[in-house]
Amino acid sequence: MNIHSSFLIPHSSLSLYVHVPFCVRKCAYCDFASFPGREADWGRYFDEIMAEIRLWSETTDFGLLSEKYRIKTLFIGGGTPTLVDAGYIEKTIDACRRIAPFEPGAEITAEGNPGTLTPGKLAAYRRAGVNRLSLGAQSFDEGLLRSLGRIHTAGQIGEAVTMAREAGFDNINLDLMYALPGQGMDQWADALDAAIALGVEHLSAYSLIVEPGTPMAARVALGAATVPDDDAVNAMQRQAIARLDAAGYRRYEISNYARPGRECRHNLVYWNRGDYLGLGCAAHSLLGGRRFHNPESLDDYLAGVRRQDEVRLTLRDEMEETLMLSTRTVRGLDLAAWENAYGAPFERRREAAIGRLERGGLIEIGGGHLRLTTRGMEVQDAVVLELLGENE
Amino acid sequence: MKYDQSRIRNFCIIAHIDHGKSTLADRILEKTGVMQLREMTDQVLDSMELERERGITIKSKAVRMPYTAKDGTEYELNLIDTPGHVDFTYEVSRALAACEGAVLVVDASQGIEAQTLANVYMALDHDLEIRPVINKIDLPSAQPEVVKQEIEDEIGIDCEGCPLVSAKQGIGIEDVLEDIVNNIPAPQDDTDAPLQALIFDSYYDNYRGAISSVRVKAGSVKVGDRIRMMAGKCEFDVTEVGAYLPLGYSPRESLNAGEVGYIAASIKDIADIHVGDTITLATNPAAEPLPGYKPVLPMVYCGIYPADGADYESLRDALEKLRLNDAALSFEPETSVALGYGFRCGFLGLLHMEIIQQRLEREFDLDLVTTAPSVVYKVVKTDGETVLIDNPTNLPPVQEIDWMEEPMVDAQVITPQDYVGAIMELCQDKRGTFRDMKYIEGGRVLLKYDLPLNEVIYDFFDQLKSRTRGYASFDYELKGYERSDLVKLDMLLNGEQCDALSIIVHRDRAYPRGRSIAEKLKDAIPRQLFEIPIQAAIGGKVIARETVKALRKDVLAKCYGGDISRKKKLLEKQKEGKKRMRQVGSVSVPSEAFMAVLKMD
Repeated sequence: MNIHSSFLIPHSSLSLYVHVPFCVRKCAYCDFASFPGREADWGRYFDEIMAEIRLWSETTDFGLLSEKYRIKTLFIGGGTPTLVDAGYIEKTIDACRRIAPFEPGAEITAEGNPGTLTPGKLAAYRRAGVNRLSLGAQSFDEGLLRSLGRIHTAGQIGEAVTMAREAGFDNINLDLMYALPGQGMDQWADALDAAIALGVEHLSAYSLIVEPGTPMAARVALGAATVPDDDAVNAMQRQAIARLDAAGYRRYEISNYARPGRECRHNLVYWNRGDYLGLGCAAHSLLGGRRFHNPESLDDYLAGVRRQDEVRLTLRDEMEETLMLSTRTVRGLDLAAWENAYGAPFERRREAAIGRLERGGLIEIGGGHLRLTTRGMEVQDAVVLELLGENE
Repeated sequence: MKYDQSRIRNFCIIAHIDHGKSTLADRILEKTGVMQLREMTDQVLDSMELERERGITIKSKAVRMPYTAKDGTEYELNLIDTPGHVDFTYEVSRALAACEGAVLVVDASQGIEAQTLANVYMALDHDLEIRPVINKIDLPSAQPEVVKQEIEDEIGIDCEGCPLVSAKQGIGIEDVLEDIVNNIPAPQDDTDAPLQALIFDSYYDNYRGAISSVRVKAGSVKVGDRIRMMAGKCEFDVTEVGAYLPLGYSPRESLNAGEVGYIAASIKDIADIHVGDTITLATNPAAEPLPGYKPVLPMVYCGIYPADGADYESLRDALEKLRLNDAALSFEPETSVALGYGFRCGFLGLLHMEIIQQRLEREFDLDLVTTAPSVVYKVVKTDGETVLIDNPTNLPPVQEIDWMEEPMVDAQVITPQDYVGAIMELCQDKRGTFRDMKYIEGGRVLLKYDLPLNEVIYDFFDQLKSRTRGYASFDYELKGYERSDLVKLDMLLNGEQCDALSIIVHRDRAYPRGRSIAEKLKDAIPRQLFEIPIQAAIGGKVIARETVKALRKDVLAKCYGGDISRKKKLLEKQKEGKKRMRQVGSVSVPSEAFMAVLKMD
């Protein structure tokens, strides 16, 4: 069988991710590829990005030179992309056109820290074609911001949004975090209200993951920090759903909310398994049914190491991924598309599990989709496991 | 050395645990020169890894040593090692029957302990010459004179001139050897009578086939002879006879009356050799077998299953291999809804069961699920038929049962006086019937109870140990069956019966056992998508209930930058975890849950 990487997104659409692995300092919870104090390497790093783009623009792998290919979304993430000189960003976006032309109205997002924005940088982004800004707010509580190790204040979040509006950005996201040590339900409600009050188009609400090896993990291990229990975390999430819904933001993915039409198209590519190419240190790719990634280490990347752990996905991998990723979205799994792609109805040999999950209020089937309920999303991993089970 | 019965000494060493039996054996091997110092590892005779680790001796062994006494006379010494645990009592008794004497090791600072007495009584039963040795005289707390007096008073053995040694430091070892050759009688077996060889051990050797360890009690046997197992009723041609060295074999032309050694006869199946049986010659058979043979019957049963169903064949191979060296192990295939394909295995007792389990896991690298141990019940059905039940699953429906009987044991506990109350309380708790109480020397008490075997296999040893701080010793012998008010206790997970968790239990015990199992399961079963009711029931009537609450939260908040590798890894891990669990209806039950039920309290 011919394996397509996605049955929802045409093979001619490509999404690009560019990783900018620099920041002012590591946050207490951060285990991403992000390196403070490497200003001296910025120039070399973007030279390598240029080289990588050139390589991809010249390769015939994955049919990338096909005339039909169009870039549908570009996401410049980090780290803190807004930390580096705007010229690097402009240069990068320009270079991306060599891989394929941008689709008309392509979504181009730059991620940033409210503490590193300047009107000059924002104007340069606009010129380069950036039309969406994603800001890491995380919290509006000064104490929590400090304990997270953020470099900005609550006040700077509002200032950043204002500055962005003035620069002409009409599509802004704020990232928020909950399930933080010392965060009560009231503080979380305040954070949501503050974000709503800023009138942004999109909100991401991530529950804190205490990653091993981070200062946060050490604090938790020492008992210096206590994270809320599962029930409290669920209650916070439900509060987010309710408050944001009342303010006109619809939940469309486990951690994402948007005003109608303002869903992040780039992130949807991940959930729908569209083709995406990651450029830069630690960037991941899914291209032509293969997954690979660049090294996590900045030095390895600078030394030219690329495309690690490349695997060609099997049909089973693909089915598993489809299930596990699509059920993160509120839209859910497209049953007709599944049957079309894999030749058998999704329900076959899963009747018992589906019945159990439906009766238990964890999933619902309707409109040709199987989707997780609010309760189901709280235990998405376990639900997926249950739905996979009979596939084994 | 030429064969001369008067120069042979067959002996064993008996002792309370930790009084230094294995160390003394090591020193004797060293002193007689059969083991060079550099070859010595601690506990040479205990070659099985498990034995060494646990400091116990499981299989009997025999070693031949040449010894030249101070007066220049050459002797052939045969040291026969014996297992010390109650599960292996029968093997001990056979090993003792192969000796003329026993070296009794007593700790110079501890004095006589319960097992010292039990061993002495067993040795006296076999008319052995008992030679006391006071060990550990190097300890600051050693009181050899007091201990000698104690032995004389309590056992009635003359300790005049008995060797005072420190096996650890190698002091007085020669005195022990001199004492053995001077005081333990030589065998006086009839050289000319038809062959009678007592099998006191058997095991499987990859090159020689199943091998019998024997004491020749009459006649002789040599390569080429056709031998007959008197109880086993089968015949074989002898391919090799000889004596044991600590690390191997020493083939001889023949084994003669009074000698200890081995007989190999290309025997493929260890089950053809029965410990306690008598070997004779097919051409010139003895009129009677030696006394004392009894078939070894498993007393305790449990189901052993591979944690991964794919390992079923490996488990079968492993059990067959273990059986080659352990005729007391029995097994047959069984199927369980919860556990898949596995084996119903029979053991001599709990320790035997535990050892087999550990050997399967260690030597064969198997991951196992073991069901709660059970005994064999007798069910008399309403139609008059009697059936034996070794697995709760096979119990006939309640309406077909007229009555049930359970195996009882004669239990004997020897304890310092202070613990009599605690032991009586324990035996009462275990549905025991008091039979007798006797004061014996040294402020000790001998208690006799009738106890259901079912209660003995269920944490009795642990309880006895903790209630008497290890001072009491315990021995039991199967007595027969008695009528009893037994019921089948079922466990239901989310309304579905899990046969692997069913037990047969006395009605009075059903409620606490049911509640305790339900609580254990509640802790052992991980939270799942739905709430899981756990019920204990007798014939459909629920007597206890617990609930595993539903999983609250299980979701990865973020897959940053399209990096789904973490989520995939997590999923793989969860899939792996689920594979290792058993599905009972919609409930995933980890093997630890079955273990939790097995290891009650």
